[in-house]
Amino acid sequence: MELFLMTIVTGIMVGGIYALVALGWVLIYKCSGVLNLAMGEMTLIGAYISISFYSMGMPFLLALFLSLIIGLILGILTERIFLDKLIGEPILSVIMVTVGLSFFFKGSLELIWGTDTKVFLPPVFPLEPIHIGPIIIGQAYLWSFIAAIILLICFVCFFKYTRWGLAMQATADDEMAALSLGISARFVYAAAWSIAFISAGVGGTLLGNINGLNISVAHLGLLVLPVVVLGGLNSVPGAIVGGIIIGILQNLCGAYLDQYFPGGVKEIAPFAFMAVFLLFKPYGLWGWERIERV
Amino acid sequence: MSTTFLPCGIYHQEYAKEHAWWQTPFIKGKMILLLIILFFIIPFFADSYGLSLCNQISYTILGAIGVQLLIGFCGQITLGHAAFLAVGAYTSALLILEFPWPAFMLDWGLAYPVSIIVAALMAGIWSVAFGLSSARVKGFYLILTTMAAQFIIVDFIITQYVSQIGGRGQAFSIPPETIKIGPIIIDSDLKVYFMMLFFVIICTAVLANLVRSKVGRAWIAIRDNDISADVMGINVIKYKLIAFFVAGCIGGIAGSCWISNLAAISPEHFPWSWSLWLVGVILIGGVGSIHGTIFGSIFMVLVMEGLQLLVIPLADIYPKLLMDFLFIKEAAFGLAICIFMIFQPYGLSYRWQQLKNYFNLWPFSY
Repeated sequence: MELFLMTIVTGIMVGGIYALVALGWVLIYKCSGVLNLAMGEMTLIGAYISISFYSMGMPFLLALFLSLIIGLILGILTERIFLDKLIGEPILSVIMVTVGLSFFFKGSLELIWGTDTKVFLPPVFPLEPIHIGPIIIGQAYLWSFIAAIILLICFVCFFKYTRWGLAMQATADDEMAALSLGISARFVYAAAWSIAFISAGVGGTLLGNINGLNISVAHLGLLVLPVVVLGGLNSVPGAIVGGIIIGILQNLCGAYLDQYFPGGVKEIAPFAFMAVFLLFKPYGLWGWERIERV
Repeated sequence: MSTTFLPCGIYHQEYAKEHAWWQTPFIKGKMILLLIILFFIIPFFADSYGLSLCNQISYTILGAIGVQLLIGFCGQITLGHAAFLAVGAYTSALLILEFPWPAFMLDWGLAYPVSIIVAALMAGIWSVAFGLSSARVKGFYLILTTMAAQFIIVDFIITQYVSQIGGRGQAFSIPPETIKIGPIIIDSDLKVYFMMLFFVIICTAVLANLVRSKVGRAWIAIRDNDISADVMGINVIKYKLIAFFVAGCIGGIAGSCWISNLAAISPEHFPWSWSLWLVGVILIGGVGSIHGTIFGSIFMVLVMEGLQLLVIPLADIYPKLLMDFLFIKEAAFGLAICIFMIFQPYGLSYRWQQLKNYFNLWPFSY
């Protein structure tokens, strides 16, 4: 029972980070219809930048903030240079451009920062675990979860109450109508990419605090796909709930199935789940069902 | 895509001629010249470096043909084709190493040819198993399923279970002289070259003929619009699964050919990035064109080798470059895909077609 509770709690904590990265993914898809396979590398970029600033001796929050600003600029540049020209192209072209971007980012990252694992030194969060009743949680997990939740709330407020957020929602809903109301679609796309870069960067930094940072963190970008499929491709609440569910599922599989199928059940479970889930409910829990006509 | 025009002054007078492969004497001569180059000039004048490059190109072509079939002709986007290559390679290796062959088959050197056939069928069946979901989902969702195929087959089943068979650890080393076809032991680049060339020609011919048969027309109809294809009376699911099967078979052949070129196979030979690489190859070559597969493979392999040659002299000045070459290669590949997709979305084969048309229509280009 204790193991079960622990697994669930850890799952929720990790799931918060997945939700954060998935949010960026959903945003890009919602606003510009781009299915992004470069999310993992975007996560890494933010994380590596903040770890570099942090190891220079800056306070953690300042380092994070600077990395977010750089992420914002990179987001705008990426959108302007590569994806702006592909609006309305077939799905394969757009996806392959993001795949190309992911190769490009990954190669450049390895070129700049190498492949060794980097850790935040000194650790940002204290190492002693917290005891809540029978449950033990690492402080890094807890703070990451809290940070993720705060950011998620910020994003939701941004979309609900600010002018730019409303403009983005309008463009996602109906691009033509938004254009006729004087909303600049190009601005919205650029904003979506920079927000995605920001949320991915925060997710990567938080994950780097837990396990250290190396190129395999980019796997997170693939884990986002089961999350968004579960929640529905264009649903923000879906991304959050999906992230937490996938986090729990992954940890449960790691804890209980590992003895029957030794090896990488934990890594593979979300994808196997996704493959089966797609057969039954391809539009996810809250996604829009598209009706096709000839 | 535009059509290729006939040269000035040449007209067909029978329907059969219109369907011929080599329609004019010039094309016939050109193709025979190509065959002579492939069979006589390259093998006997190229050194072992050139031959190994050719083998790499052939392997890329064999892998990419299956992807071309699925994406270019049937419209089913796949990002997990390396998994089926891996199934083929592992089936073939396991059959050679573990299967209790009767002595006469070993003596006659039939073990490897038979294992290629079995590997092709096996890869086809796995491909169909993961293609089954194409009955319900398409587009991006199908991409996700094929990605799941890659992770489940390569990262889980093969790494965790298949690699344990025989207690060899992670890598299956293939002892020399076990791979032989008939009396010939495949042990040099030259022999591998001829074998790969044979399979490339066979697979290209099979695909080219399938595409202009009933099956191929059904695939193209499904690619262009699957709902209207259904309305026209095409059994969409059946033809999609046939496409997956054929693509898997060709992938299996590619994988089992490639083990003759490797001393050992391990799951690291079939990473997800290799699947993406294959898709990149057909995008650069041109989607929906068999020429495109070949141009793309040649282009990618040669450009990457050229990059390497460029790096070696620079390494004296900046030695870290040589160590980081793998990363440069990755970044260059990514950038190449982006640039091709943005500036040259029809790929190299479109340029080739334009070139041909220019010369065919010259001097009256209207």
